[in-house]
Amino acid sequence: MKNNIRVERAIKNITQAELAELIDVSRQTINTIESNRYVPSTVLALKIARVFGKPVEDVFMLEDED
Amino acid sequence: MKSRFLFPYWCRYLGWGLFLVHIPIVLFRKQLGFEAHGPDDGLLSSQHVFFMTTTLLMAIGLFLAAFAKERIEDEQISQLRLDSLQWAIYVNYLLLIVSLILTNDTQHILFLNLMVPLVFFIVRFQWKIFQNNRLLKRDGDLR
Repeated sequence: MKNNIRVERAIKNITQAELAELIDVSRQTINTIESNRYVPSTVLALKIARVFGKPVEDVFMLEDED
Repeated sequence: MKSRFLFPYWCRYLGWGLFLVHIPIVLFRKQLGFEAHGPDDGLLSSQHVFFMTTTLLMAIGLFLAAFAKERIEDEQISQLRLDSLQWAIYVNYLLLIVSLILTNDTQHILFLNLMVPLVFFIVRFQWKIFQNNRLLKRDGDLR
């Protein structure tokens, strides 16, 4: 699964730390998700999408191997 | 996400404290008048009580250090903890099987079994956290 959190953050102009605080996780977690080293749970994915005000499919996309 | 069955954050310091206290006691056991615990010692003899106390100090110390909450408990940390636990069990059983084949020194096998899962778990878990922190620092707080 890939995501465009980095792009969405840039659009919304918030840092990893600010996003982390908004959804109550650590900065490390945001960083691992952005660099595709951790796949968030559905709950967390929905929370992230809500911060950006977009449907979850606009932030997270399945890849061919998924 | 709520992590259940974990000790509060400060318990890690208590755990390391207990573990550190146990090291000099074990190192200087001869000077303190305690030899290694053997099967000939009676139950609750001073040797046995000494062995029991030091082992409990170590085991409880490691246990608290291993299963204290992180500063920020989230699902990624829970995942790391679960992965590390799986690794620890694998390594423990591998060592257990090898030592069962190669020796019949059951007392040391028991002791190994007491330490390995917790120590390996702590090392692996903390190493992964350290790696994440390093990557975070390297990537910076990129915009």
